Amino acid sequence: MVVSVAMGTAIATSLITLSLDIKGKVSRELRAFGANITIEPKVEGFADIAGQKRYLREKDIIKAKTIFWRHNILGIAPFLEEKAKISFQDRKKDVTIVGTWFEKELPLPGEKTTFRAGVSTVSPWWDIKGRTPDKSSVVLGVSLAEELGIKQGEEVLLDGKPYVVSGILSTGGKEDEQVFLDLDVAQELKGLEGAVSRVLVSALTTPMDDFAYKDPATMSRKEYEKWYCTGYVTSIAKQLEEVFKGSRAKPIWHVAETEGNVLERLSILVYLLTAASLLAAALSMSTTMAASLLRRLDEIGLMKSIGADSFKISIIFLSEAFIIGCVGGLVGYAISVGVVKFIGLKVFGAVLEERVLLLPVALVSALLIAALGSLLPIRRALRVKPAVVLKEAR
Amino acid sequence: MEFISVKDVVKEYETAVALRGVDMDVEKGRWVSIVGPSGSGKSTLLNIIGGLDSPTKGSVFIDGVDLGSLSEDAMARFRRENIGFVFQQSHLVPYLTSVENVMLAQYFHSITDEAEAVEALNRVGLGHRLHHRPSQLSGGEQQRVCIARALINSPKILLADEPTGNLDRENTRLILELLKKLHSEEHFTIILVTHDPFVSKWAERLLTMEDGRIIKDEPLYC
Repeated sequence: MVVSVAMGTAIATSLITLSLDIKGKVSRELRAFGANITIEPKVEGFADIAGQKRYLREKDIIKAKTIFWRHNILGIAPFLEEKAKISFQDRKKDVTIVGTWFEKELPLPGEKTTFRAGVSTVSPWWDIKGRTPDKSSVVLGVSLAEELGIKQGEEVLLDGKPYVVSGILSTGGKEDEQVFLDLDVAQELKGLEGAVSRVLVSALTTPMDDFAYKDPATMSRKEYEKWYCTGYVTSIAKQLEEVFKGSRAKPIWHVAETEGNVLERLSILVYLLTAASLLAAALSMSTTMAASLLRRLDEIGLMKSIGADSFKISIIFLSEAFIIGCVGGLVGYAISVGVVKFIGLKVFGAVLEERVLLLPVALVSALLIAALGSLLPIRRALRVKPAVVLKEAR
Repeated sequence: MEFISVKDVVKEYETAVALRGVDMDVEKGRWVSIVGPSGSGKSTLLNIIGGLDSPTKGSVFIDGVDLGSLSEDAMARFRRENIGFVFQQSHLVPYLTSVENVMLAQYFHSITDEAEAVEALNRVGLGHRLHHRPSQLSGGEQQRVCIARALINSPKILLADEPTGNLDRENTRLILELLKKLHSEEHFTIILVTHDPFVSKWAERLLTMEDGRIIKDEPLYC
């Protein structure tokens, strides 16, 4: 019986520990999906047509690491997208050139450490054959390179300036048609020093719920504070908007919602598994208890013959179940600590946090298993007729 | 009104009839033996008087209380207040010591009192075996623990079903002497079922059963 309770408690406690840590771990894994927030200048469209194209300021980028949810900002990359003419031998074409950081260490404000930013932090799936660009080189999208017959190491002209092709980029998206340069080089080429047209951010977020979808403009002060201080993708976007001058930050919904759905379903799965393990343990305990009581029917008959009522007999067997529950809970908790460590290392490559606070949870789970598993067999055993069992025991 | 009154009690099982309309009255403080061959219904009658079994028909009154009117838990309460049982098999809880087995009856009755339990075991001559488990006691000693347990709550009735059935003659005599001594001191009523003439003659009254009926009711003079 102790083994049944211990195993049930171990599984339930392990799953609860995992459910507490798994969101963070899986959410971090899901960041491989790429950026989930895009920041753009507030005014574009008509202003652009009128020749008033707006830009964000490159120097605001590091401010993303000063917001309330700064520790949740895992990646950030600026993009300056402009039109340019590419020439290779006798071929010419109007293309989009993109200035960006492929990988850059940014010093954190007020700290001695740095923060790794760049395309590799928001689009880790980008596949570059060759090297990332430096001051005198560019990376070409694979479709563009094939169309113009350009190979790595050859020289192209961008708006008349020569650059060596250091690599060929393949993403399967619109990037395959574009030319990539270091941000500084693109700014210099287009005379747009310190300007970026778009910033992509990869942030750890809390799955969206009904409250998260509420319009902040219609919220009470208390609701707004709760929303602002919860790591929803919308509230993080709002905080980014506040530090990027003249910007508008929007969640990339297909990424944010997919992540939310995955995490939500994962949570439900863990909760269901926890409930199932508790139920299975209770059933196992119940079967073992029933078998044990069957062997002790003469004892129950004897107790009844010397005047025990159902309550007092129940108290005796429930006390035994209580002791089994306590021992099983402690053993189960000890097992769960090992199981969680093992799963953390094998699945996530990191030790999941050990939570001593789960010890009472383990004990309560164990007592629940013991109580639920014992009630029915005890109830059934109390129906025995003492005259019958005592006669059989003779 | 008689202290114990059994009226037209019938007990039928699916395949057999154990009692076929038994009537009997027992005065308070008497020692009655019930004898008869195996299957005559004497143990069934004893169980019904003790509320361990219920009759198919008829009624049992003890001290004016109709046992048929009591719920299972009320019957348990009535039993612990009024009745002590001694069985052929000692039926002791195997993992409890002598004194703990006696205290178990105290626990079901009210509260435990170890000194009182020790005194009860002293009275049955087991003061030196207080902390022995049943497996460490002889058959006679186990029965003496059962008598101490049956009498610890000062019952008005002692029901004994073949209490010496597993004992040799010497131990049988010791148990009966002990019962006689306690009976004369405490004046409880004894109904003792046996098939041993040596045991039955210690009673004041002898009932003989056959085929589910009392066929003879005679006084005995010790």
